[in-house]
Amino acid sequence: MDFSFTKEQLMFKEEVIRFAKKEIVPRVAEHELACTFDFEAFRKMGEFGILGLHFPEELGGQGADVITTVLAGEALGEAGVDGGLTLAYGAHTFLCADTLFRHGTDAQRKKYIPKLASGQWIGCMGLTEPGAGSDVASMKTEAVKKGDTYVLNGSKIFITNGPIADVAVVYAKTDPSQQHAGISAFVVEKGTPGFSSGEPLKKMGVHTSQTSELFFNDCTIPAQNLLGQEGMGFQMAMETVEWDRSALLAPFIGSGSYLLKKCVRYAKERVQFGRPIGHFQATKHKIADIKIMLEAGRSLVYRIAWCKDSGKPLNHLEAAVAKLFAGDWTLQPMNDAMLIFGGYGYCHEYDVERCFRDGRLAPIGGGTSDIQKMIISRLM
Amino acid sequence: MNFDYSPKEKAFLEEIGAIVSQYASQAGSRVEKPLALILKKLAATPYLRLGIEPVDGMEGPQSLMAAAQKFAAAYPSLYLSVEMSTRVFGGALSRFGSATQKEKFLTPLLKGELVGAMALSESSMNVENDALATTGTVDGDKVLVSGVKSFVINGPIANVIAVAGAYEGGTGIFFVPADAPGLTIGEPLGTLGFEGALISAVSLENCPVDKNFVIGPLAHKEAMDALKLMENQVLVGAALGAMSAAFEAAKKHAKEHKSGGRPIIAYQEVAFKLAEMLTMVQTCELLAQRACWLLKNNDNQALEVFLCAKVMCGECAEKVASGALQILSGSGFTAPNPTERAYRNAKFVQIAGVSTEIARVKIGDMELGYGK
Ligand SMILES: Cc1cc2nc3c(=O)[nH]c(=O)nc-3n(C[C@H](O)[C@H](O)[C@H](O)COP(=O)(O)OP(=O)(O)OC[C@H]3O[C@@H](n4cnc5c(N)ncnc54)[C@H](O)[C@@H]3O)c2cc1C
Ligand SMILES: Cc1cc2nc3c(=O)[nH]c(=O)nc-3n(C[C@H](O)[C@H](O)[C@H](O)COP(=O)(O)OP(=O)(O)OC[C@H]3O[C@@H](n4cnc5c(N)ncnc54)[C@H](O)[C@@H]3O)c2cc1C
Repeated sequence: MDFSFTKEQLMFKEEVIRFAKKEIVPRVAEHELACTFDFEAFRKMGEFGILGLHFPEELGGQGADVITTVLAGEALGEAGVDGGLTLAYGAHTFLCADTLFRHGTDAQRKKYIPKLASGQWIGCMGLTEPGAGSDVASMKTEAVKKGDTYVLNGSKIFITNGPIADVAVVYAKTDPSQQHAGISAFVVEKGTPGFSSGEPLKKMGVHTSQTSELFFNDCTIPAQNLLGQEGMGFQMAMETVEWDRSALLAPFIGSGSYLLKKCVRYAKERVQFGRPIGHFQATKHKIADIKIMLEAGRSLVYRIAWCKDSGKPLNHLEAAVAKLFAGDWTLQPMNDAMLIFGGYGYCHEYDVERCFRDGRLAPIGGGTSDIQKMIISRLM
Repeated sequence: MNFDYSPKEKAFLEEIGAIVSQYASQAGSRVEKPLALILKKLAATPYLRLGIEPVDGMEGPQSLMAAAQKFAAAYPSLYLSVEMSTRVFGGALSRFGSATQKEKFLTPLLKGELVGAMALSESSMNVENDALATTGTVDGDKVLVSGVKSFVINGPIANVIAVAGAYEGGTGIFFVPADAPGLTIGEPLGTLGFEGALISAVSLENCPVDKNFVIGPLAHKEAMDALKLMENQVLVGAALGAMSAAFEAAKKHAKEHKSGGRPIIAYQEVAFKLAEMLTMVQTCELLAQRACWLLKNNDNQALEVFLCAKVMCGECAEKVASGALQILSGSGFTAPNPTERAYRNAKFVQIAGVSTEIARVKIGDMELGYGK
């Protein structure tokens, strides 16, 4: 086994950290408190190339490998970019744009990928429904073929970028008599009659990402907006799992490094009982636990990225292990980080409670920890 | 990056798996008989040399860790005995020994013809390496060694014991033959785990050691850090072995044992526990591999990441074994069996080498830039 990164990969990570610290981080607190999306930061991420890193250059991407892409996500977290913006980036680039890239026609790729890679357009992905969360196959949204159109009816919930998206990848049943095999994927543009989104939901964390319902009322789209073939939707959604378990988890790992640095600095500065609190073993214990979780979690995430780069089929067991670990095992260290800051940790100024709230999504979004355990136990 | 073992490593791991599995049925018994046999067999493979000297086509400590996991899963006490001899006693020679010392001890060790022990720790440990109370005093061309070491693995069966002590303003390692005058080896101790390994107290009173067979004086911190790191590698391997033995036993049982007409893995209370256990096993394996990779590359983070691996693997070993015991229920509680053995052994991993508490303090110090 070889855990090394190339020099170029490491240099790029440093570049992303510098970029994020300069262009994004100074505005995080303002947007986080106001629960608003930072359009300007998103546009700058597009200009820098982050939004389309792994797409080919001719489509406006950078042609980067998966490990570099994952390192960029880690770098954003490490620089102090909030989980809301990194989630918005994840949903946009991987759940939406990558699905269009992989399963769209040439014309669809040319139409959407350059706009999404540059940040000119924002994308979202609608899978979850009010009655179908973990149990995806029970979705009720239907797409009925009428001539050379499909007519969509139903609704989606918890859709990241829902209120601000220009284009959505939407999953719907074309054959309600089937379970997974009845699901198909469609591309739906903002402004399509019968398509609308709800008000942004108020959430515990990831405040700057805008999450909402999507509504489809006799929403009529051209038949060519079907991605791939009918019945392939579930498989497409599962393909995004590779990204979910690598690029979308990477910012959590990065924000662990961010927290660790903050805790170390604070523990050396904060004096109680006549000495910096870093000198108490209880503080060292907490700092050690954050470090241990980071060291343990990082390789799990990179293993998925490496697998993808080397063209291996996704190992669903290993992917679920990475997600389960990143979701469940990082909660305690994040809690510890808040404790190191005492009362200040509970207040917004020091940004640790923000990390805690953002991190709380990890065991829920993209398949809960229970669902990961189900996958692992079935595959073992 | 590459998360695969090379074809050569895979073949080697299979070979080791085949050797150690022949001994698994004796895993509850004392090691003195199987030890000589398995050392000969291992000497015919790259196993003993890994991490001690370069071996073509192998990844040193990384290949060793993967093999160690198999060995420690099959027969934990035998593993501990072989490793304390090869990797700690042998490791000290390989790292600090002179050509004469290597010729005399390391050569037969790697042929499987000599058993060593390392007497390092004294009555208590500390975060900053306290000076050792055991001493070596020069007396002509001899060094007279005096002191007490409370727990020495292989004490009763070693041909030679490496004893660490204060020496000429630094730290010395004295190679004391088992028949040296002034050396008293205590009775084998009864222990909670690794009950097949022979562990005893060792006391030395003006025990004469030929000056040629003394390492040092070494800088105390450097010597202690290096020796503890060797010990920690052995213990991380022991933890991985305990985890995989317990997990495999629980998985097998959960698929075969029925309740309410269904295999118990059909129940989430069982299946999800297994999923959590496997997550710990895989996470620990990767963390240990990364620590070994840093070590192989002489990376200055190796010491700290090894401490992280030691804490994580030691604690997960107990959790995995505990989960496995729940799943095995009655058949796990009726000893002896690999799972209850793993549960007992896990505790040792947390205590020995650098204890979990001291390791966390050290990691904290390293992150904070404290400590010397
Ligand atoms: C901030 C945020 C952003 C999101 N973004 C998106 C997005 O962009 N696109 C999208 O499609 N979705 C998105 N989601 C939805 C997310 O994927 C779902 O919330 C998640 O899959 C869980 O579904 P649910 O909320 O309906 O919970 P449920 O499925 O109702 O689960 C409730 C509880 O029951 C447990 N449970 C369910 N089934 C089982 C079982 N068989 N065995 C054991 N336990 C079980 C779950 O683990 C959980 O604890 C987002 C969610 C959030 C919170
Ligand atoms: C079965 C067995 C076999 C062994 N084999 C060998 C061997 O072959 N060679 C060898 O050299 N050694 C060996 N050891 C010794 C072992 O490595 C430990 O160093 C030794 O057990 C520690 O001493 P102690 O048990 O007196 O614990 P103590 O040092 O007294 O520690 C007691 C408790 O206090 C904690 N503690 C102590 N100091 C601090 C501090 N400053 N801060 C926070 N917490 C602290 C410890 O973590 C522990 O929980 C063996 C031990 C055992 C039990």
